[in-house]
Amino acid sequence: MKVQPREPGGFAPELNELLVRRAQRIRQKPAEAEDENLLWVAEFPVGEETYALPLETLRAAVPLKMVTPVPLSPPHVIGILRFQGQIVTALSLASLLGGRGWREDPAVLLVVDPGFGRLVALDCERIPKPSGLPQAQVAEARARSSGATCEITLAGTRQVNLLDLLRLMDRRQGQEKR
Amino acid sequence: MMDPLLENLLAGFVDEAQEIYERVARSMMELEKAPAQGPSFDELARGLHTLKGSAATLGLEELADFAHRMEDVVLPLRGSSKPLPARLSDAVLKSLDVWMAHLRAIAAKGQLPDLAPSVALLETVKPDAPVPAAAKSRKKKNGKGPTAAETLAERVARAPEPEPPAAPIPAPAEDAQADSWRVTTRQVIALLHEVERLREVRLRIEERRREIDKALQQLDRLGIQAETAEARSVLLGVRRALGADGEEAADIVASMEDGLKTISTMPVRTVIEPLRRAVRDICKATGKQAKLAVVGAEVSLDRRVLEQLRGPLVHLVRNAADHGLELPDVREARGKHPEGALAIRVEQQGNMLFIEVSDDGAGLDLEQIREAALRRALVPPEELANMSTQQLHQLIFRPGFSTKMEATEYSGRGVGLDVVRNQIQALQGQVEVQSVPGQGTRFVLTLPADLGSSPVLVVRCGEHQLGLPMVAVESSRGARSKDLRVGRSRVQLEHREQLIPVQDLGALVGLRQPEVPAEGQPLLILQSQGRTMALSVDEVLGDRELVIRPLPVEIRELAAYQGAATLARGELVLILRPDFIVNTERRADTGLTSTRRALVVDDSLTARALHRTALETGGYLVHTASNARQALEQLRHSAYDVMVCDIGMDEMDGYELTAAVRQRVETDSMPILLVSARDSENDRQRGLAVGADGFLTKKDCVSGRLLSEVSSVIARRKGAA
Repeated sequence: MKVQPREPGGFAPELNELLVRRAQRIRQKPAEAEDENLLWVAEFPVGEETYALPLETLRAAVPLKMVTPVPLSPPHVIGILRFQGQIVTALSLASLLGGRGWREDPAVLLVVDPGFGRLVALDCERIPKPSGLPQAQVAEARARSSGATCEITLAGTRQVNLLDLLRLMDRRQGQEKR
Repeated sequence: MMDPLLENLLAGFVDEAQEIYERVARSMMELEKAPAQGPSFDELARGLHTLKGSAATLGLEELADFAHRMEDVVLPLRGSSKPLPARLSDAVLKSLDVWMAHLRAIAAKGQLPDLAPSVALLETVKPDAPVPAAAKSRKKKNGKGPTAAETLAERVARAPEPEPPAAPIPAPAEDAQADSWRVTTRQVIALLHEVERLREVRLRIEERRREIDKALQQLDRLGIQAETAEARSVLLGVRRALGADGEEAADIVASMEDGLKTISTMPVRTVIEPLRRAVRDICKATGKQAKLAVVGAEVSLDRRVLEQLRGPLVHLVRNAADHGLELPDVREARGKHPEGALAIRVEQQGNMLFIEVSDDGAGLDLEQIREAALRRALVPPEELANMSTQQLHQLIFRPGFSTKMEATEYSGRGVGLDVVRNQIQALQGQVEVQSVPGQGTRFVLTLPADLGSSPVLVVRCGEHQLGLPMVAVESSRGARSKDLRVGRSRVQLEHREQLIPVQDLGALVGLRQPEVPAEGQPLLILQSQGRTMALSVDEVLGDRELVIRPLPVEIRELAAYQGAATLARGELVLILRPDFIVNTERRADTGLTSTRRALVVDDSLTARALHRTALETGGYLVHTASNARQALEQLRHSAYDVMVCDIGMDEMDGYELTAAVRQRVETDSMPILLVSARDSENDRQRGLAVGADGFLTKKDCVSGRLLSEVSSVIARRKGAA
């Protein structure tokens, strides 16, 4: 069966140009999707900025409820909660990052495995979105950074701060020891 | 090759026999000191008979016959007014050890210990009594006669004197039964985690119920009853059903938890009971007399921990009997009872386990310790000369240390206390020794115990629930002003004709300024580390039996808590450390000495944490409130230099709170900074109109900005004044 155009008279030139661009993009997509050189991350906002953490470290996103505050704890500790039978510490990410502003009161806790054999929970304003960051750019940014985050500038000058959870926790522990 | 069915039966029989073995051994030891009659003798006879019968059933003829020979030695003495002769009980106990070792070797397909020497030993103690008829009829019933016994008889003739068994403390019984399953620790822990998950599901059900409550309240506020009647009815039904489901889930969780506790823990007595035998054997061998008293044997602990405690306990009890206690005549000469007292005391406080092993013997001999250390070159002489008593005591934990010149069967090989310390340290515990010359020695083992439960008193302080180990709570009472002595810097309570300090729990944990207890306010009388004090709390919620678990690593070093436990409804409760509470010097840690104070009011936990971070960086002592009502309560008792308040809160918002604060004379000039998630000029103007001194959006609440705004509102107020 031959496919007939829906608009027998054809499209307006600008519309046609848009459709061509879209088609090109779609044709490119499989190639991108097959690209294994991406680091899959969970992306979320902290105030005005965008942060991300490797998807492999994310165990769950749970509502910020049923957290028991811990009097006398360091200020970056929001409290403790139960997660799959474990008692997990909930930490304020903005506080860990040295005091950032925020747009909405965090309503989500990201339960993450920083890689030292136990889980911690970090607060978050919204449920994160999965996205891919080019591995090459990630490697380059990591090499440049010695801190808990490394800045990755994507097409369209969009900037993502990729978190290094181990460094983030180490830095906090170091500050506490001092 | 053994029949698989028989192999399974045999595994069950080993456990059963171990249990019987312990009962028989205990009866034997009791009958050494009491007439050979009564329930102890019945237990002994029944046990031997069961061992014999069960062994025969499994075709273990040699063991059946051996048990029969033990019966031959013991049964003729039934009804005697005298205790069992020492030689006889010695021989039977040693034979029992060999019997068990033989059975274990069969089950493990290992090298079988020779029974002949023990049979020969039994022959030497056999009373001159006719062979019981039961034995003859048994031979007749079997028809073929005891072939194994005939072989034995031949071997008996050339048997040497039996050696004492290598390991007088046999392996555990652990209440095992033949119809049991073998389950690995990992499987049980996985199940415990599943129960925790189920508890979380139960919490979520509760959460859903609260959401439905909110929806119903919203419908009520709308006031359109007729149009929403059906929706209300459905919601009420769902709410009811969720309530019932939640209760059922809670019951299932409790029941599963109880069951798993039974599987994963066992009473301490299973490890301690066999020690009675060790004490008895040492006394027999050394001519000493001793009585072992046990307190807390019914405490249930993690089976894995108990298994690892077995060795250290054996060492300590053997050392106490062999090294610690004096011979009866020496004791009498020192004015002591000839029978030495050995005691084991087990106590679980929160998630810590304390085990004390003590004796009333001669105590550690410092001179002997010095000599032994020199002899074994453990410490250079000049270092030894400068050592304190405590340091000398520590030498006994050095590898190779022993004050005995010659090794005996029980001690003196220089292997013991270093191993004990290593084993306890492997359990993340520690060993301490205390000793008074002439009065005795006490070893205290302290180790974490994650499983097992403890009684906890749950109290409320503000919106927080906190737990106190019951072991530290002497009593509770209501505060009466006539019993309180209120000074400038402290409050005391007249309690049993003594003045004891009073602490406000809220202030102690940094939630508020210290408050003098109001009339009737609950006071808990606490005792810890030899100190007594009264702790004022807002409400006593009751005592619970709770499993206390360690806090996560991030906050484990907080001195105030020993762990956290889950209450029946699933919420976590922090368990306070009594020594933290009675240790008044630690109050300085809470930062109560800071001069500038800020009150943060925000219904968001995480916003409170962020404001606290910024303000503490600026040197403020920060108290927090999660709603306007709490904030007003705090302001009634305490003065603050500034209040940082969220606008969008339930019930009473930040504008209303600001207006209420301004109406009170005490707070009408307190600087107030309003913060909001919304950046709106209207909000700003409205806030200033009700009396706020400043306005900041949450996205601008970076540390420096918040602090500069706080300083600015304080300065403005001062300028206005």
